[in-house]
Amino acid sequence: MSDVRRALIWLVALVAIVIAGDHILAWVLRKVVVRSQFRYSRLYRGGNSADVIVLGDSRGLAFYAPAIEELTGLRALNLSYNSMSPRIAEAILLDYVEHNRPPRMVVIEVTSAIVSGALTSELRTYASLSPRLAALYAERYPIAAVAGRMFRLFPLNSELFLAVLHYMRQTDQDWIRRETMAPAVRTRPRNHWRLAPFLDNVEALARMVGLLHQRGIEVRLVIAPYGPSNVPVNVAGFADLIARRVQAPVWNYAGAVADPEDFADQVHLNERGGRVFLRMLQRDGAFGMTRPPARF
Amino acid sequence: MLFNSLPFLAFLPIFMTFYWATSGRARLWVMLVGSLFFYAWWDWRFLSLLLFSSLVDYSLGILLEDERHEAMRRRLIVISVAINLGLLGFFKYFNFFVQSAADVSSALGLHPTYNALKIVLPVGISFYVFKTMSYTIDVYRRTQKAERDLLRFTTFVVFFPELVAGPIVRASRLLPQLARDHPFSYERMVSGLTLVASGYVRKVAIADSIAPLVDIRFAHPEAHNAWSLLIGVYLYAFQIYCDFSGYSNIAIGLARVLGFDFGINFDRPYFSRSFGEFWTRWHISLSSWLRDYLYISLGGNRGGTWRTFRNLMVTMLLGGLWHGASWTFVAWGGLHGLYLVTQRLIGPAYQRVIRALRVPTVVSNAFLMLLVFHLTCFGWVFFRAHSFSNAFDVLSGIAAMRGASLADVDNKWRILKCAVLIAVMLGFEAASFLRDRQRAPEFSPALRLAFVAACAWVVLIFGTFSGNNFIYFQF
Repeated sequence: MSDVRRALIWLVALVAIVIAGDHILAWVLRKVVVRSQFRYSRLYRGGNSADVIVLGDSRGLAFYAPAIEELTGLRALNLSYNSMSPRIAEAILLDYVEHNRPPRMVVIEVTSAIVSGALTSELRTYASLSPRLAALYAERYPIAAVAGRMFRLFPLNSELFLAVLHYMRQTDQDWIRRETMAPAVRTRPRNHWRLAPFLDNVEALARMVGLLHQRGIEVRLVIAPYGPSNVPVNVAGFADLIARRVQAPVWNYAGAVADPEDFADQVHLNERGGRVFLRMLQRDGAFGMTRPPARF
Repeated sequence: MLFNSLPFLAFLPIFMTFYWATSGRARLWVMLVGSLFFYAWWDWRFLSLLLFSSLVDYSLGILLEDERHEAMRRRLIVISVAINLGLLGFFKYFNFFVQSAADVSSALGLHPTYNALKIVLPVGISFYVFKTMSYTIDVYRRTQKAERDLLRFTTFVVFFPELVAGPIVRASRLLPQLARDHPFSYERMVSGLTLVASGYVRKVAIADSIAPLVDIRFAHPEAHNAWSLLIGVYLYAFQIYCDFSGYSNIAIGLARVLGFDFGINFDRPYFSRSFGEFWTRWHISLSSWLRDYLYISLGGNRGGTWRTFRNLMVTMLLGGLWHGASWTFVAWGGLHGLYLVTQRLIGPAYQRVIRALRVPTVVSNAFLMLLVFHLTCFGWVFFRAHSFSNAFDVLSGIAAMRGASLADVDNKWRILKCAVLIAVMLGFEAASFLRDRQRAPEFSPALRLAFVAACAWVVLIFGTFSGNNFIYFQF
């Protein structure tokens, strides 16, 4: 047999094996995704009956679910994730109520309205389980979405998939930063910065709030604390803007925590700070239900 | 054009089709035009520089060979070296030297005014200048015949797999291969693609996945605890290794598919038991270039112990400077020079102690490997840092053991992923060591098929597709 012919056979065999292996491996790994204890795996597996759902970006992780449960006796599920914008949160929320018993309360950390939606790329891991996430992904990354249809392993290529593996047998609801601010970060001069929300995020917030009101689910729009020298200069105006556009009050705690020991950095509370913050919310009645459980 | 980009994946099959459809001089034209197109994709304006460099050394090579008078030949080689180093000096080091001179003047109380020029560094200039310079030096030394075919010589200079980031394939190796046609070979294709696949895994799955983890730690060392910074340094050691050895593997593999033999550029360097060994395993084409054209030209080890030490230090300092126009690179080179000198000073005593204590060879080797690796990592801090203060921030953060808790390290999952991939790669390297020792036969095409398929799956599921540049492009 000539060298060219042998080479062609080898290349064809290679393509066939790559594609077959890609499909088989992806099928197995998608089963793994659904069985994990990671938050979105739980969401799409269904059967959850949380009373309180939390949505937000990395700052939403300050709503430490075990502490909410200890304080209120309500079952809590935090669905926040780094860089989750309200547009993505909207898709997650709609998917949640489709697959699970609707919650009694949804808490949304509204400064996530300044996030551009980088998480869309990561959430491709769940695109096969959610037409909404698939549509968001295809809208933002059209070429990668095509690649994902050709190679089934590609959508599993994400940080979320690593999280899926990490939380295979353990809950992810105790996920919160535990370190305290490094001394150099603590002593940084005051940062004069402004919250600049994206319009489509504000509209998504408004849609979410409208839907939740319509279904009789309580909504809490909250601004979690910022580090002492990092409170945005326009935070009060931002809260007013969101409240006006969304037609719901915003609970503003941007400057409520002053002890640097309560922060992991100038943007994120650590576990200790999270507990302090949740006690404030509890004290102010944020977790109090004003309506009976919704019926569906 | 980047090897890890869509344009390259489109370019390659078109190039291959024309390459295999032609022979003789027509094939050389295909290689030349394809290579120039590959380079022009980045910036077509610098093609003139590339062609100028080729033309100058082509002409000087012929003059050097034809000239009988030694004094004239010396003048010609000085002209060649001056032009090559002049190009490199202007494009790469002009602002660096001007800034350094201004800094020294300021320190002396003078305050000169100067204007830095906005100079774009032509991609690959450090590589092709070294390649052409070694050619003329070899012709001057009469160890290489001058190439009289301009088409062949220009193709030698611009051949795309090694043009922008090496390996630095010398004329003595490549020109004879360009003088004949290479028929298509099934074995070469399979072994070449195997190398290419391993290169993509190293670059796309390992180096590019590590890059953001390292970037954030060196950008804000004050915001990371000791463990986090230490992990960042270890990760950088593997980022630069996988990035550059990945590029080299792709380049060498592509050349092998086309019928060319470039040799190897990395040979499992982190298994080295001494710095002498490290430099025979790391960026082999550069280290052998520095040895042959700098270290030996300075006298090598012929002038006694202290002259040898001086030559080692000069070679490594200049080798450091070759990597970039910054004193941190010079410091990195200087550190390696010190390592080499120290090794020569205490190496024999260490061997005597090991023999006296009857330490098993395997234990001694493992200790030496770990020692060399960690000292190399120490050097990488200066190589990666953007300034000395940045390097000292990283090192002091580690030394102070500030907030030393492994639990507080960010991006654990990504770090874990990288660690697993690195462990698998090192496992393969260790296995290849044993195979080499046992002189095991080459892997069969079926096994290579499975390996390439596995590489494709690894890239699909663990690759980072952000089109990151190769680190060595900046050099």
